[in-house]
Amino acid sequence: MRSIVTAMPLEAILTVAAALFCIGLFGALSRRNIIGILMGVELMLNAVNINLIAFWRYLEPTNTSGLIFAIIAITVAAAEAAVGLAMVIAVYRTRLTINADEVDTLRG
Amino acid sequence: MQFSFFPDVLKILPELMLALLALMVVIFDLFSGDASDEQRFADAASTTALGLVLVFGLVVLQGGYIVNRFIDPTTLDPTAGGAGGFFANIFRNLQVVTDPTPGPTGQPGNVLLNGAFIVDNLTMLARLLFIAAAFVTALLTRDYGATANPAEFYGLLLFSTIGMNLMAGAGEMITAYLSLELASVALYIMAGYFKGDLRSSEAGIKYYIFGALSSGVLLYGLSLWYGYAAYNQIPNPTTFSAIVQAVATGGTNSSLLYLALIFIIAGLGYKIAVVPFHSWSPDVYQGAPTPVTAFLSTASKSAGFFLLYRVLVDGFGPLAGSAAFAGEFGGWASILALIAFLTMTFGNLAAITQTNAKRLLAYSSIAHAGFLLMGLIAVFGSGQAGRFTQFGVPSLFYYLVTYTFTNLGAFGALAAISRVVGGDDLSDLNGLYRRNLGLAVLMAVFVLSLAGIPPLSGFFAKFLVFQAGWESGAIWLVVAAVLNTIISLYYYLRLLRHMFMSDPQAETRIGVPGGMNFSLILSAVLVLVLGLAPSFFLPAISVVTQAAGR
Repeated sequence: MRSIVTAMPLEAILTVAAALFCIGLFGALSRRNIIGILMGVELMLNAVNINLIAFWRYLEPTNTSGLIFAIIAITVAAAEAAVGLAMVIAVYRTRLTINADEVDTLRG
Repeated sequence: MQFSFFPDVLKILPELMLALLALMVVIFDLFSGDASDEQRFADAASTTALGLVLVFGLVVLQGGYIVNRFIDPTTLDPTAGGAGGFFANIFRNLQVVTDPTPGPTGQPGNVLLNGAFIVDNLTMLARLLFIAAAFVTALLTRDYGATANPAEFYGLLLFSTIGMNLMAGAGEMITAYLSLELASVALYIMAGYFKGDLRSSEAGIKYYIFGALSSGVLLYGLSLWYGYAAYNQIPNPTTFSAIVQAVATGGTNSSLLYLALIFIIAGLGYKIAVVPFHSWSPDVYQGAPTPVTAFLSTASKSAGFFLLYRVLVDGFGPLAGSAAFAGEFGGWASILALIAFLTMTFGNLAAITQTNAKRLLAYSSIAHAGFLLMGLIAVFGSGQAGRFTQFGVPSLFYYLVTYTFTNLGAFGALAAISRVVGGDDLSDLNGLYRRNLGLAVLMAVFVLSLAGIPPLSGFFAKFLVFQAGWESGAIWLVVAAVLNTIISLYYYLRLLRHMFMSDPQAETRIGVPGGMNFSLILSAVLVLVLGLAPSFFLPAISVVTQAAGR
């Protein structure tokens, strides 16, 4: 029976995950809009999940720790995003902008 | 995996009690009726502080700090009648959790759920530290003038404390990640707590963005680590000890392993605010409400160090390398030595030009992270991975304890000043001795301890760290640290000059409310006693390398 494990090497999946991580990091560092930054962070977290699931599927499919880790990472990321969006709203209410360059009262 | 209810619940009893306390604080506030906001805030703060004192007492009992130290445990006879037997029984039942003797399943008696959580002396020390820091913070915020949603604030404070406790006891990466997020997410909200205030909301969003980014980086490192352990067919590949076993079978010559190490150092480096990952901290420290700054510059940073210690020493111990750069390079000690040097130098140089007192203390706390890293890299001697040096661990944790109380006090005193004066620039400190002599003296104690002036604990902490660095062979780093201490004197004395040698901007007295006063005096007494009688505390700190139960 053909499965993904025989059809595709682990390295290919890890490369996709690494590329996704780099795209996310670039997005988070280069975006001016705070929502855009948060989207970049989400891409990074998804790259991690791909990594975890790939390692689990290829290296120890009989165990569950990688799966559990991925599920917990997804859950925590959702909770974190909820807090983050609430804060974006708080910033928008005080300044009427969510451009990261204009949120610059604190500097020095 | 077996879960035996009674001892396993006892192992996390302090955290369970804190969670219960957090729920109690939230629910009590629902029944406050038409009490004023100030009254509700004071009630929630008092409930929190009282509950924290109770949990602190429990941890002191569980850790055996009283019984083994002052009472010979063999004289306690649980079969005796009356009060003696009653208390002997309670003590035995509470302390059974830290007994490392393997149980029927073969795993040590002081771990929970296959090693996900470890109850050893390190965890006990961390619990005492974080609960005390939360207690001081609760008293500092009681009359700070925050009015909206008091119960949520103290609930978040308590949940953050739980997260920090779990971070210090984490024996496995899922627990570590989850507890790190529990501690951080609560702190993001607390930093942005004055949501109508420009600076506070900005501090919250900045803290959040950097935190989310670095938790992504940390997670990527953890996933690579998981992959390496799974590749080497280690059972329970997510535990910290799995990496030691994986290195034993797979060797250290793997790029996956080093990538994981670097990503994890970067992710946790954010939490402790060391130099390439520090840029958030001055902004957040300045913008957050001052008592929250006190909490997050001390407890949160300490929690980061506890977790870093667990990951690097328990997990990556075989990759320690050397900070001395003597013929060997490539372990985490070398990387951290470089980071430590950059951190202390940058922190001190940047602090010199600051005009805002909170920002100045923020840069000073960056510099202190550098000194703390020096203690961490000296945990293992040169080229002797796995063998603890004499001064490394005690110096690291002694420094953490003194730093925590000193900085809590310093930011607390700033909170007391800014709540009356309305600002926290250096000029707002002008002539403080004429406006409130006691407060000026307390602030001077904290600032001098941060600078490392002899009778205070900051001196002894620095001395121990230097000794540890010397012992581990990183002599260049010790020399740099001594030079840095001299530089730091300049800006610490500048703070004192503003307080004692300038004319005040106004003559009105700066009143300090009771709760704040108590917490400041408590911190100052601890700073003094830790410095005058270090031998009283060092035994409790030195044992953290032993398994448990003292």
